Amino acid sequence: MLKRLILFLPALFVAMGLACVSDITASEKLAQEQILNIAFDAGDLQTLDPHRAASTQDRSTVDPIFNGLVRYTPGNQVQAEPDLAESWQASADNKVWTFQLRKGVFFHPFPDHPKGYELTSEDVIYSFQRAADPEVSSYAGEYSGIIFEADGPYKVRITLEQPMSEILFLAKVANYAGGFIVPKKVIEANGNDWFKLNPVGTGPFAFKSYQPRQKVVLGANDNYFRGKPYLREVVIRYMTSVSSRELGLQSGELQIIEGLKEDKWLEKVATFPDVVIKPFGPCETQMLFFNMGTAPFNDIRVRKAFSYAVNREEVAAFMGKGLAVPIYSPTLAPPAPGAMTKAEAEKAGIVYENNIAEAKNLLADAGFAKGLKFEAIVSEMESSYRKPMIAIQAQARKAGIDMQLKVVDHSAFHGLIRQDASPIVYYASWRPDVNVYLTRFFHSDSVIGKGKKPDTNFSHYGLVDANGDGKVDNVDELIEQARWELDAQKQIGMWKDAQIKILQDVAAVPIIRLMYAFPMKSYVDLGYDLEFSWQTYSPQINEKTRILAH
Amino acid sequence: MFNYAVRRIFQSIPILFIVFTLVFVIVRVLPGDPATAALGDYASQAAVESLRKSMGLDVPLWQQYLRFLGSLLRGDLGNSIITGYPVSSQIVNVLPYTLQLTFSAIILGYIFGIPLGISAAVKRNSFVDYFNRVFSLIGLSIPAFYLGILLMYLFSIKLRWFPVVGGGELWSLGSNLRHLFLPALSLGLVMTAYITRMTRSSLLNVLMEDYIRTARSKGIPEKIVLFKHSLRNALIPIVALGGLYAVVLIGSSVMIEIVFSRPGLGSLMVGAIKQRDYTTLQSVMVLYALIVVALNLVTDLIYGWIDPRIQYK
Repeated sequence: MLKRLILFLPALFVAMGLACVSDITASEKLAQEQILNIAFDAGDLQTLDPHRAASTQDRSTVDPIFNGLVRYTPGNQVQAEPDLAESWQASADNKVWTFQLRKGVFFHPFPDHPKGYELTSEDVIYSFQRAADPEVSSYAGEYSGIIFEADGPYKVRITLEQPMSEILFLAKVANYAGGFIVPKKVIEANGNDWFKLNPVGTGPFAFKSYQPRQKVVLGANDNYFRGKPYLREVVIRYMTSVSSRELGLQSGELQIIEGLKEDKWLEKVATFPDVVIKPFGPCETQMLFFNMGTAPFNDIRVRKAFSYAVNREEVAAFMGKGLAVPIYSPTLAPPAPGAMTKAEAEKAGIVYENNIAEAKNLLADAGFAKGLKFEAIVSEMESSYRKPMIAIQAQARKAGIDMQLKVVDHSAFHGLIRQDASPIVYYASWRPDVNVYLTRFFHSDSVIGKGKKPDTNFSHYGLVDANGDGKVDNVDELIEQARWELDAQKQIGMWKDAQIKILQDVAAVPIIRLMYAFPMKSYVDLGYDLEFSWQTYSPQINEKTRILAH
Repeated sequence: MFNYAVRRIFQSIPILFIVFTLVFVIVRVLPGDPATAALGDYASQAAVESLRKSMGLDVPLWQQYLRFLGSLLRGDLGNSIITGYPVSSQIVNVLPYTLQLTFSAIILGYIFGIPLGISAAVKRNSFVDYFNRVFSLIGLSIPAFYLGILLMYLFSIKLRWFPVVGGGELWSLGSNLRHLFLPALSLGLVMTAYITRMTRSSLLNVLMEDYIRTARSKGIPEKIVLFKHSLRNALIPIVALGGLYAVVLIGSSVMIEIVFSRPGLGSLMVGAIKQRDYTTLQSVMVLYALIVVALNLVTDLIYGWIDPRIQYK
């Protein structure tokens, strides 16, 4: 009996295994079912409340659920076009903006409202007031001091404290962050906590289900005002292992994946059958910030020396030429309005790079003839932090700068750099315009720990004497003047002046910009040409996205 | 035995309390906080502070500790501080997947490991024995998650037989087994290696006993000597030690769950670490401790059940 059992059981297991075998991805089935699977490099969602969503996976999930008053053209995102608002107009002084809402737009069904309800100005006002409330919104600062009023059920009037150019103003009411319109009745009836995991919007896809640490499923909203979506379902998966995402794409179970921002990896994935890769913007910019509040980087000679040790071209080549290019603006990269080109930076005499002899001289002048040693904290994230810092570490060593890297996980990194724990902060980011960069990274109010509204001014610029002339250096006035300037050319000029001053004082060293790449199956038709995707940092999914027969 | 079991259960209470306290302190000693992790780099300091407050992290640590301890004693695991999703529901949703994976791996380990171990012991120093020894050495050396990736490559990418993403629908047998096969095999092969080695050495010890020589000299057929006289005795430590290996496998299952993107306690824990989701992390780690304590207790009790000579005092 025992002998028989010992022989029978393994045979049974093999038979069961064979019985389970099936073709995992029948291609006709995929096109017929129209179910799109996307995998993100994340352990879970954080929130599906659009006024709180900040991570790539959360932004990408709320994007097809909600709309703004205006939207940026999918794939290009330079021009604003009507979304929930049919039209808009500004008063002569650009202080009062009036939006005419689209009629017959319904929110997705929700408990007690199986057909949803029609969007009116009441929801729009509620949404912006909510976006302005720091208790429930991460973007409250963008809306403070703005008055929102309804003028009948389909008209909304927005009054600003000060006039604002169209570029800066429309960003506040577009399909992004605080600009998303949420349903008043739903949130009032169920509360903000409920809404976090049960989002109800007006977009082409409605929230269907959530399995913690696994996936969110969105279902098609057949009553979408731009027409019925082709896709029936969008499955957003959270998968932290890049090998697993890669294998899922290869097997065809996943059609779009978040990958690594590295040439070598992309070259490999491009060889998989049916996989296409097209890098897209807006491109995060990566910069070094010096803590000018303490030694040794309170001395401009040391900062210049470090800057001279850096070779941007080499860092870009190390990251991959298809994805990275050197930058010379401590904000955005060209062609963004206000970003400086290399020629402009050279003309202004603010490109200190690639000159080891000069670096050594400056270090010797500053009293570090025998070299300089310090420890920098860096995030574990490979493409945006660790890898470029490894390149910079090797370059700095040639100038006698021994920069020890202390690698910590990304969450810890964010905590530590806000406590002044690192003399140098390497930071990768994207912000919608130069104004936001200058305000948050270089205005004295934003200095970490010490500013009036501490934010991400890691260099302490604005509160310290940067150039050693005995006076505190800042560009606060320039930033504020530019913010309210209505003439676009003058505004750009002021932004550039501020950046030149910052780089003259060597508060930061712009290094590279890095593009994104989400490998996808060739039979996925996004419904638009993907050049930029700054709202989600991923390919946006909309009603025109579909899986082609293949 | 009953008294022993009750005593052990009471003894495990302080152990769990110490584990809970250590976990509470360790997760908070990690730099970085959940509000920053949740809001990303775009959020301002004010937004981070407001979220910290709504997460209940603005109160002193000792108050957080007492609050959590109190709710744990009431059986309330609280809600994830990131998503607000109840921790108990998260655990209930994923626990079946982890148990399914672990127990499948244990069963696979036994059904393949015992025959291989027997063949190695019976054919000692033959090709079969060498093969089995090399196999078990590889099985013990190769990390289960790496084996998982190799199996995925072969069976899912090349042959396209099994899916690689997710755990399937829990209540659909076909989908469930298809998704379980490769992860269970990855973990099961490691278990097979353990059991093969253990069966071989245990059986060899028994085969050298005097009573086996006596049986053989009486002319009892070799099959009966092997399966009736030797194997039953050799299996006692193997079966009992299964409980201890289950503890090892629960640990290994963390990586397997990540690699196969399966739901489970492991992926729940890793996700919670990344997000600094204190409440979820604490509960999952306490649950792990509970499982380990329970498995050790069960193993001790099984010893006595298999071998009545063992006395509990």
